[in-house]
Amino acid sequence: MYLALLTKKTKMTSMEKRLQKELQAMTKDPPAGVSVNTNSLSSNLSEWVVDIEGAPGTLYESERFQLGFKFTSRYPFDSPQVMFLGPNIPVHPHIYSNGHICLSILTEDWSPALSVQSVCLSIVSMLSSCKEKKLPPDNALYVRTCSKDPKKTRWWYHDNSV
Amino acid sequence: MAAQAHAIDYDPERNYDEDTLAQQREIEKEIAESQPLISSLFTFDDIVEEYTREDEVYRHKIENLKTRYANLRKTRGDGNCFFRAFGFGYLETLLSNPTDYQRFLEICEKSKDELIALGFPQFTLEDFYDTFIDIVKQVKNPGQLEKLLETFNDQGLSDYFVVYLRLLVSGFLQKNEDDYIPFIDGERTVKQFCSQEVEPMGKESDHIHAVALTKALRVPICVEYMDREGQTCNSFMFDPTESPEESSPKPALTLLYRPGHYDILYPL
Repeated sequence: MYLALLTKKTKMTSMEKRLQKELQAMTKDPPAGVSVNTNSLSSNLSEWVVDIEGAPGTLYESERFQLGFKFTSRYPFDSPQVMFLGPNIPVHPHIYSNGHICLSILTEDWSPALSVQSVCLSIVSMLSSCKEKKLPPDNALYVRTCSKDPKKTRWWYHDNSV
Repeated sequence: MAAQAHAIDYDPERNYDEDTLAQQREIEKEIAESQPLISSLFTFDDIVEEYTREDEVYRHKIENLKTRYANLRKTRGDGNCFFRAFGFGYLETLLSNPTDYQRFLEICEKSKDELIALGFPQFTLEDFYDTFIDIVKQVKNPGQLEKLLETFNDQGLSDYFVVYLRLLVSGFLQKNEDDYIPFIDGERTVKQFCSQEVEPMGKESDHIHAVALTKALRVPICVEYMDREGQTCNSFMFDPTESPEESSPKPALTLLYRPGHYDILYPL
């Protein structure tokens, strides 16, 4: 399915080339609990939906979530915009009820050597290490006042324990 | 007064993040439009007024530099200037040094597998390596200076090159973790330091980045520090062989440091 999408254009931008490589790797050898929803891909690969499943033995065991990825033409130099989508947003101290995620690699600590796969693994691991399902303390104010784009938030990363 | 007025206007129910970030992007855009990634050659007379506007003490220091250096190239202040200055400056010297070119190429070619062995993901690493090594190979033939300057001013190619140098520094620090952990500030592991301060683009380089890069590629460099203290620049030699001072090798290139920024110097 996605291969048909990809071969349509003859000349790809460097963002598309890179994402195509990532997509192949993720489809061929997906990390545990992570799968790309290939029906969701836009034709130039600038938007993806990735299904993730809470790891066994954690608070989120067998819960299913959807992560939305958006890439600009400057990817991988610009970080992707990543947020939870749909009706089931994990209740977690670093995840706001509108799907925005407070994770440093999504903004300040993003590096072009990271990838969709490494972002998904960090998010799965963030869920797995959670000890108590609760919303971020400033959830109400943040959700009321924030931009629609989580990359337009100046995140404060102060707690690495969960 | 201004601070007070600001305090009165401040609305705690409003989110200012978007405005602040938009302002930061605007500043970055202005820098990008006004400064090439790597400039053509300047003389000290060309830049003395500009540098002196920051601080009058630089006037004396530039006079001092003129006794030892003929020219300089400016680099864009985008947080990657150390890596870009090193990359361009060193490749430029290789244009007229085929022996060093061969040595450097071999080190570079070995580095990819070493980084993969350290756990860097192969498919992202390969992308950066392929572009990096293509750029290195550009200097195999002499007389390619214009081409090299063009390459380093092509944001895409230039940034790919910078990423790979950042990964080399990260790999070197992680491989020699025990030696470098005492120099890492904050309660961080070497790996955390690398993912926060080395691998992301735009994170400025410190002493530790320079030590690691010169050792990873075995390229001795000299840095002239033009800070606000004293009347002359202090030079510091990054010598990857750690030979005793009297026998330390001739630097392959010299960089000029002003607080937060690196440019390239050319000896008389």
